[in-house]
Amino acid sequence: MTTCIGTPAEENALAYIEGTLPEIEAERFEEHYFECPVCLAYLQAIQAVGQELAHEPAVRLEPVRRKPALAWPALVWALGAAAALLVIGVAGIRFFAPHPAQPSQAQLAPATPAQTAPAPKSTRPLPAQQTAMELADLALPAFEAPNLRGAGVEANFEEGMSAYGRGDCQAALSALARVSPQDLAARQAQFFSAACRMHKGDLAAAAAGLHKIADEGDSPEQESVLYYLAQIALARNDPATAHRLLLHSIALKGDLERRARVEDQKVLALINRDREAGTGSPDAK
Amino acid sequence: MSGEQNGPDLSLAEPEARESIRLALAIGSGDRAAERDFALRYLPRVRAMLLARSRNADLASDLLQDVMIESICALRRGQLREASKLTAFVLAIARNVLNSHYRGAARQPESLEFPDDLPDLASAPDRMEAEQRKTMAMKAITVLDPTDKAILQLTLVEGLKPGIIAQKLRLNPDVVRQRKLRATRRVVEFVSGQSQNAPGSHSLTGKVP
Repeated sequence: MTTCIGTPAEENALAYIEGTLPEIEAERFEEHYFECPVCLAYLQAIQAVGQELAHEPAVRLEPVRRKPALAWPALVWALGAAAALLVIGVAGIRFFAPHPAQPSQAQLAPATPAQTAPAPKSTRPLPAQQTAMELADLALPAFEAPNLRGAGVEANFEEGMSAYGRGDCQAALSALARVSPQDLAARQAQFFSAACRMHKGDLAAAAAGLHKIADEGDSPEQESVLYYLAQIALARNDPATAHRLLLHSIALKGDLERRARVEDQKVLALINRDREAGTGSPDAK
Repeated sequence: MSGEQNGPDLSLAEPEARESIRLALAIGSGDRAAERDFALRYLPRVRAMLLARSRNADLASDLLQDVMIESICALRRGQLREASKLTAFVLAIARNVLNSHYRGAARQPESLEFPDDLPDLASAPDRMEAEQRKTMAMKAITVLDPTDKAILQLTLVEGLKPGIIAQKLRLNPDVVRQRKLRATRRVVEFVSGQSQNAPGSHSLTGKVP
């Protein structure tokens, strides 16, 4: 019986099929999977998917469309109309708003279909305050050391993540702060520093760190950033923002999708309950 | 025969090596049932190898027959010196067959005799497994997110690198790499049936159930 759990296939199969695995490693991998049913099955599964995909029509993704440039007169009219609407809108808000305008909490607002889902905002004290905060998952996110061939790991990052692995956030923060912003691991260092701050309860600093990563655009950390920003929002008793961030995180369909989806169901239930409580529903507890 | 003058030490060999020794010795001594066992054992492995190397299913199928015939004929002739190295022997033949094909050599399997008494190489269990994999692969594809599907298609079918895919899909190359790895892992789990054993762990899409 083999004791292999498929790690060689996970590490090599894709590159082997793509033809990017160095010949010597390809031969070594062949010698392995010829004797290892687990890795052979892994390889066969990818090949089966590849063969089926070959029969599928090419996926046509909608390119990121730029709106067609308006002709000059139309542009002038459009700008004028927008300005007029803005003036009317501002006047309307000042005239009709019962309370001063609340500060925007939506610093992260990439337009996705997920955002169209209802995300009621509520900044008044929630009846179920404890529950919202209890939902927050402020545990340190797991770190998997990268397995990059020939790529050296920056010493400060390595030291920081070693401390992080031990749960020593103070030492981790100190070492990660020394990672050069030019280093490949800089963004990861930033993310795990924010995670440490979140874990220590410094939510403002954690959120600032995570927002900074998010503002840099799409990255491998994006999903985790959104997920943990949602946790911070929950810890701050802001389920509406948490819901919105969780939807963004789910939309990325990454490792945290399932977790975010489960949590979002709970957050939505909470929001609905609060809404009922706020409208004086007799069923609300 | 096998060339192992003192006889192989079966008791010390690992199960795979022991099976290799058994097959090599049995085929060398004219055991036709062992040839069938040999085919059952190596057909899927050699097919996977040829497909990976050639990226051409039809060619892989053609060459597969050559590799198996050549291997069995060589074993019948006792050309394998160390019976425990059967796997390396088959791999070497497969590489030779493939290389000869690419060199354009007008080659025939080395034996040239094409004996009539070869085992049925269209092994039923292997075909059944391949069919099951195919069905699962089709299912896995239908539930893939369009972007993940595009990334896998461009990778596995078109053979494009993440940088090029990133340009085509207007994504960050890191994002392409990440999504490719995740999507691969998911479809492999799905096809291998592991996801069925782990309740609720096979959601491939972002669709709300």
